[in-house]
Amino acid sequence: MAGTIRENQPAAEREARASGWRRFVPTLLPAGLLILALILPARMFSRGQSADVVGLGPAAWPGAMLLALAVLSAIWVARDLWALRRPGGQPLLTPVVEEGPYAMGKAVAGLVMIVVYGWLLSVIGFALASALFIAGWCVFGGVRNPLVLVPVTLIGTVALLWLFMGLALMPLPRGQGVFDGFSIWLLQTTGIY
Amino acid sequence: MAAFELLGGGFSAAFQLWPFLTIVTGLLVGVVAGALPGISFVNAMAMALPFTYVMSPTQSMLFLGGIYVGGVFGGSISAIMINVPGTPASLPATWDGYAMTKRGEVKRALAIAVTASATGGLVSALVLAFLSAPFATFALKFSQPEFFAATVLGLVSVIAIAKDRPLVTLVSLVLGIVVGTVGVDPLYGQARFSFGIPEMESGIRFVVVMIGLFAIGEVVDLLATNRDLRPKTQGGRQIGAKLADILGVKGAILRGTGIGCLIGMIPGAGATPGAVIAYGVEKQVSTRGAEFGTGVEAGLAAPEAAKNATTGAAMVPLLTLGIPGSAATAIMLAAMMLHGVNPGPLLFIMDPSMVYTIFAAMIIANVLMIGAGLGVAQVFSTLMRTPPAILAAFIIVLSVIGAYGVRNNIFDVWVCLAFGVLGWGMKRIGFPSAPLVLGVILGPLAERYFLTSLANSQQDWTVFVTRPISGTILALAGVFVLWSLWPGIIGRLARRRERAA
Amino acid sequence: MTNRTPIAATSRPAAGRAAPDRPHPRSRAVPAASRAGLGVLAAAAVSLGMGAGTADAQDYPDRPIEMVVTFGPGGGADLMGRTMARLLEEPLGVSIPVSNVAGASGNAGLTRLRTNPADGYTIGTLISLTVASWASGLGDNAPEDFQVISVVQSSPSFLFVPANGPHQSAEALFEYAKSNPVTVATSGYGTQDDVTLKLLANAGITMENVPFQAPAERYASPIGGHTMAIYEEPGDVAQFIEAGQLVPVVVFSEERHPAFPDVPTSAELGIDISGLDNYRSVAVPAGVPEDRVAILEDAVAQAVSTEEWQEFCESTYTCIEPVTGEAAQAMVGDFRDLIAEQLSQ
Repeated sequence: MAGTIRENQPAAEREARASGWRRFVPTLLPAGLLILALILPARMFSRGQSADVVGLGPAAWPGAMLLALAVLSAIWVARDLWALRRPGGQPLLTPVVEEGPYAMGKAVAGLVMIVVYGWLLSVIGFALASALFIAGWCVFGGVRNPLVLVPVTLIGTVALLWLFMGLALMPLPRGQGVFDGFSIWLLQTTGIY
Repeated sequence: MAAFELLGGGFSAAFQLWPFLTIVTGLLVGVVAGALPGISFVNAMAMALPFTYVMSPTQSMLFLGGIYVGGVFGGSISAIMINVPGTPASLPATWDGYAMTKRGEVKRALAIAVTASATGGLVSALVLAFLSAPFATFALKFSQPEFFAATVLGLVSVIAIAKDRPLVTLVSLVLGIVVGTVGVDPLYGQARFSFGIPEMESGIRFVVVMIGLFAIGEVVDLLATNRDLRPKTQGGRQIGAKLADILGVKGAILRGTGIGCLIGMIPGAGATPGAVIAYGVEKQVSTRGAEFGTGVEAGLAAPEAAKNATTGAAMVPLLTLGIPGSAATAIMLAAMMLHGVNPGPLLFIMDPSMVYTIFAAMIIANVLMIGAGLGVAQVFSTLMRTPPAILAAFIIVLSVIGAYGVRNNIFDVWVCLAFGVLGWGMKRIGFPSAPLVLGVILGPLAERYFLTSLANSQQDWTVFVTRPISGTILALAGVFVLWSLWPGIIGRLARRRERAA
Repeated sequence: MTNRTPIAATSRPAAGRAAPDRPHPRSRAVPAASRAGLGVLAAAAVSLGMGAGTADAQDYPDRPIEMVVTFGPGGGADLMGRTMARLLEEPLGVSIPVSNVAGASGNAGLTRLRTNPADGYTIGTLISLTVASWASGLGDNAPEDFQVISVVQSSPSFLFVPANGPHQSAEALFEYAKSNPVTVATSGYGTQDDVTLKLLANAGITMENVPFQAPAERYASPIGGHTMAIYEEPGDVAQFIEAGQLVPVVVFSEERHPAFPDVPTSAELGIDISGLDNYRSVAVPAGVPEDRVAILEDAVAQAVSTEEWQEFCESTYTCIEPVTGEAAQAMVGDFRDLIAEQLSQ
């Protein structure tokens, strides 16, 4: 799947250039799904199964669905290969056409920031991680005036803390070690604990 | 006529200052929570549960009922405005509702959505008030084979919704069903696809998948395209809704309401399948069915009416039988039981005033919802004027809170973010994500209804077709598939003939 | 049955009365915070420097204690956890927010309980259903990962039949089962329910196990006439018993249940099945300092002795003398071994 989402030119241009092996890139998705559907049944259980089960057993439904996925993906691959045998043929999956320019680098950086945020949550706690993330995203998104950035970050984070940990009593992660201590201090200072 | 008298008493009880304020507060909390991307109405109701400790049993039901009614609609505000469904039931609102917004008709879309939702909700509240006894008797006739058949109808509707690529939609749907099988199986207590990770045994919840696929993908696109979220205008002024717009979709609203009332009674199903089936049916019935997905009013109105029509219907089995069919009604049951009140047939005999106050409150809440919905939508459109980067940052943080809040589990956040990355990629290559989410919702239901049906009939596979209700629904599903695929088959044959000629 | 006052009638006024004289749960946090008062910064500095959990026992608890309910809102574990949390707030003097961490038969919540710091600021529900799931290999939790504060609820299970069904006694049902298929709604394969049905089958009474994952659907199935009986503890189907929709026919216990003196035990019918009672306990992760465990144990004892708790446990038919210490710990370990042994047969 990684191969199909790597490209960066507008779709119209790509279509024109799509020739040779590149025309087959979108077909990698159903091919990947087909392989997945064939591998997964063997990996369904990570523990031994008791031999006598009443009825169909826990493997029947996912097994049937994986079989369906395999068959459908196979049809898809076959259909794509059949269509692509001629130069003008189109694969079943055609990338969306963006209305304006699409900054692929920015999008990937944004995704990385989101994933890092998810990881930081459990390490440094919700309050710190969210403040860092909000500030980082704003700077990256073009909001650089400190008179906007600082209040938005601080007031936003405290408001979220107050609303969800204070009012809704959600046990959002406080972080580990020193950060746990800091989170508790922060929550006590803001009157939430 | 006793029902009218009792309902009259219910109205006068509900129109007292505090009960009324409770309904309004609940409604506003629900609409706002529903409209926030990530926070679903089930989340909001669970968070509100501790507040009901200090209320009287009736008041706590008014509060939760208000959140329920408001929250089921609220999800459509963000679906229509920014293409991020606030709750899974609002998925269909992103198809035609957001398309209208892109045309600069956001106000019109919102007005149609809120009117349709309120109508659906109102009718179903009336059903609750006047027909709950016969409906409850009818609901008890339903058993696992019928639930399975109804779930199949939901799955089939997903295929019917597909515009032109049934194969791709089907692959996405089945992939969703496979994702839904992760975790402990419903009958045997065995963990599947956990790959030795204990957290995986808890399974993957559809809300978490939905937040990831929709909210995160949309926000990253926002960053990459420098798009503006400010509501678009046409020729300097926004297009509002006229009465004629509402009247134009009255058929769609009626059909949606009917479907919602029926689906709402089925335990486990709830608002999302109701909305999806209504959309699928409307696409077939409507003369503009082929244009669905490009901003057709009927395609917005039908699912909106259906999802709110499930609210009253879902409370029928809760109040009359003491059996909650969905997560939302289970929270209401918890609130009542924490006060020592057991819903069920005895409640009607022992405390009819409480029951009828709840009925009255549901009716009032649905009427008030038009105002609350439009008011909150106005506030949200004002919020859209803040720089997109700030808005996007908060959408992500709210999504993370929402994913965490489903089960207070950090692992769900990681699953949500993983699906966020996946969803963004799927969007880039044009692989549809809505069928996947619906597969995650409906797949586990279909599995347990299927297996329990077999266990209850000595593994007799014919049970699904020999039981009259389930057989009828399955036949209906079959017809539905043929009906929706027919134009495609005809079209293909015609094209082939043209090419040959 | 007839001389018992219906639940809803007795407890509603009580709940109404409880509301005004019991402060809002949240308001508890305020005295706790103000007690810390000027010392907030100092206390923070201490906890920053040394990490949480090293403060003196006198200070415990000085911030909210999280109650992890290992199932979603609305079930028996949730009601127990929420009622207990509410009643613990007074003796402990801090607010006790409830968080539902559902998943994997309660193991997801236990994992959260186990992996949170063992400082007494996280308590959770540990119930027999989850313990039984360990026997079938679910989760990575073990009895020694937890310290059971107190087992506060326990109830034997019954077989109930619908009031409009053809067999209104256990004898009739068992006799019918000898030559015809009888369907029993249960919570799943590999659970206590399954073990009981297996033991019945060993005694010559074979019944079809029909697992329903969703409790609501399980209760609806015999009432709607889709299954012939249901295996359940009376508290979870109290409203259906009160309404006369479900009739208890046999209790799987050594003695008859005081609330149902007319219902025979299985031993009286010649099949001795007992020791599979559903119990619910409050637990902390292993390693919580002893003085804190003592404070919690004391608080739970106070909570259980309140009138409100008594009303709650009576309405759910689960009143017992709380089991604490080693005995409570043994209940968990022994139960897992018992289920594992039965399942492996």
